[in-house]
Amino acid sequence: MNLRVPHPFRGLCGKGGLLRSNSTALFLSLLYLVIAPSTISAQVTTDQLLHSSQTPSNWLQYASTYDAHRYSALSQINRENVSQLTLQWVLQTPLTGYFENSPLVVDGVMYVTAPEDLAYAVDARTGRKLWTYKRVLPEKLRACCGHTNRGFAILGTRLFLATLDAHVVALDSATGNVLWDVAAADYAKGYAFTVAPLVIKDKVVVGVSGGEYGIRGFIDAYDASTGQRAWRFYTIPAPGEPGGDSWGSAEAAARGGAPAWVTGTYDPQLNLLYWPTGNPSPSDDGSGRKGDDLYSNCILALNPDTGKLQWYFQFTPFDLHDWDATEVPVLLDTELNGQPRKLLIQANRNGFFYVLDRTNGKFLFAKPYATQTWAKGMDTSGKPIVLDTALPSETGVRTCPGAAGSTNWMAPTYSPQANLFYVSVREQCDVFYAHPQSFVQGRVFIGSVYMPAPKEKDWGAVRAIDPKTGDVRWEYKEFSAPWGGNLSTAGHLVFTGDVEGNLIALDAETGKPLWHIQTGSPVWAAPITYSVNNRQYLSIPSGSALLTFALPESPH
Amino acid sequence: MKQFLALICLLSFLTAPPLFSQPPSHPCLPQQSQSIANGKSTFRGACAFCHGLNADGGFRAPSLISGHLNHGDTDDAMLNNILHGIPGTAMPANDIEESEARDVIAYLRSLQKPAAAPPSGNAEAGRKLFFGEAYCSRCHMVSGQGGRLGPDLSRVGAMRPRDYLIESIRNPDAVIAERFVTTDFGVNSPNYELVTVTTRQGTSFSGVILNEDSFSLQFMDDQEKIHSWSKSELQSVVHEKRSPMPAYGKPQLSDSQLDDLVAYLSSLTGAAK
Repeated sequence: MNLRVPHPFRGLCGKGGLLRSNSTALFLSLLYLVIAPSTISAQVTTDQLLHSSQTPSNWLQYASTYDAHRYSALSQINRENVSQLTLQWVLQTPLTGYFENSPLVVDGVMYVTAPEDLAYAVDARTGRKLWTYKRVLPEKLRACCGHTNRGFAILGTRLFLATLDAHVVALDSATGNVLWDVAAADYAKGYAFTVAPLVIKDKVVVGVSGGEYGIRGFIDAYDASTGQRAWRFYTIPAPGEPGGDSWGSAEAAARGGAPAWVTGTYDPQLNLLYWPTGNPSPSDDGSGRKGDDLYSNCILALNPDTGKLQWYFQFTPFDLHDWDATEVPVLLDTELNGQPRKLLIQANRNGFFYVLDRTNGKFLFAKPYATQTWAKGMDTSGKPIVLDTALPSETGVRTCPGAAGSTNWMAPTYSPQANLFYVSVREQCDVFYAHPQSFVQGRVFIGSVYMPAPKEKDWGAVRAIDPKTGDVRWEYKEFSAPWGGNLSTAGHLVFTGDVEGNLIALDAETGKPLWHIQTGSPVWAAPITYSVNNRQYLSIPSGSALLTFALPESPH
Repeated sequence: MKQFLALICLLSFLTAPPLFSQPPSHPCLPQQSQSIANGKSTFRGACAFCHGLNADGGFRAPSLISGHLNHGDTDDAMLNNILHGIPGTAMPANDIEESEARDVIAYLRSLQKPAAAPPSGNAEAGRKLFFGEAYCSRCHMVSGQGGRLGPDLSRVGAMRPRDYLIESIRNPDAVIAERFVTTDFGVNSPNYELVTVTTRQGTSFSGVILNEDSFSLQFMDDQEKIHSWSKSELQSVVHEKRSPMPAYGKPQLSDSQLDDLVAYLSSLTGAAK
């Protein structure tokens, strides 16, 4: 780890310095290293990002690691002692709304983003602020679904933030000062960023939001040093390009949405970036976009150096239910039917758990992991066999899952210790109404409306899925359909949060709840864990605050 | 994204009470037909989630076509309400063009039902029933007077049409009112349902649910005492799926008494007297 510790005694010890004795200087230097705050301006290298699972004291990426397992090797907090977890500190913000972020932790400093593109660096032991960044945003943002931000990426001493007004910004991690700031798109036309960027090599990758505004979605890569755009991949092909004719008309394609608002994953051996895309626009009315609507609701495999498409897989072609595929694409190397395989697994919003070969995008199998009433199953290529009874109409058709899906952006986790994939599941159905809507640039463009199925109470669960079979091994039921994500640890634990505000620890093998605490506001994000001075911490965003827990310190 | 609807909805629930006393324009001219069609499209995207698919009242906002609007039923008043929202309610300002708002008004007018006949009942007689022999005030509060078990009805006349009020009296299980419109999107908003819990020792208690999550629940019993339960202390929690309110059939409330009571409830708009 390249810890760059400022050396306040250098001026005292060098030539002409006040302290002439080398031994004294050495002593003071060592003393400083012992008593120094655990970090100031830590450098994060590409090598560290590639091997971030090996330094579980840090949380270096949105999903911790490139494979998005969100699994920590820390085990100080475990199923024997988790009931002793105690609140250590709370970071309050002057905001309303919900944190949907995953903070980063680098050598004792936590970098937190909040709604409205507010951000902080805080001492990870105490929650005390080191600096604050506040973006001045335009009055009339077009960001759908809350002015949220899902987190930073880091490389070197630079933090990268994608903003609600569709800019990408680099901040100095030591000060919060802006190093560069580039406009990616015009926010007034419905473009926005809520995504946590992903750093690959020397590039910063972001995906755009705006599927409710008839945008043309894209994924961008920027040079981390200069902010210059390295490449852009439009998630809707131009006329004449492969897939460009899948929208019925060029006009429909031009405003077809297909945003890319959840952080992708990366396989360094294959040098492939996997990025999920969202719904076609308008989401609930397909009368003007008859076709598969590529590349909406896909997983895209891109070359991260060039942005060239290597392969794609579409989960929900010609989507009429707002089922973005913007769920985390988790990468997993395991044996399947006796063969070692490189897999991409995803619990999709449409209610199916998918397993793909991530070398080529080949569909291996899919299995429902939640109530679904829209598909008879999949054909051998993974294309759903859609039931006529699930097509929205003017008068409304009840379909499960609802528009929010069986799961959503909330992070799943995979534990290599338990060999299980854990996902927050929403059991909720909607009535979908279709009606054509005229397109006006910058205006919400969804095509009618969907409403909760009357007299049906939604509920939820954390389900543990065997990724080799898609079988649900256990479930932990929740009172309401969740929006919180998950974390697994080597302490044989899964942590999750519910919308009633409970932070909950589950036994990773059985799903038995071992501990919970009421945090006071809905949990709309996933917990993270890290350690400072060999003490493990657990942080959970709740409402617009961040709460951090640890075991009580041993009495000395 | 689902959150989008949350945004619109949380801002616009409760909103503008019902529209119209102004006669509808004739919706047969081609230009008007287009305006109505455009208005329908805008309404579905921006208004229907709260006001109902056909503007006849949704689970969070009142009917806009019942023939009676409290916050103004002229085109200008409606335009102002749509564009700028209604202070003191959750009706938000809508970021749409004036022409689009006028299309919405044209659409609503095309749906307008004939102006409801003025309530035939005697509101003062209804007030006496409410606070007297019908025992409504045992559980319902109006302007600070009455009980706490049921919904406060101080503004119910601005919120609910006559048909809804009649149904709620004759058949209270038909729709059990939500306790509050939660600002925590995604959280199951507790309604006024009856719940019965049984402790591990076998004792049962009932009350009107106040709140609940995976680990605990809180309810108010018929003496307005609040009970807090940890689910680990209980062997069962039964949601009765019915209102604690008794149905008022004709033996309990004659048709003319019902008219009086509904006339009183319809007069409750929360306006200063």
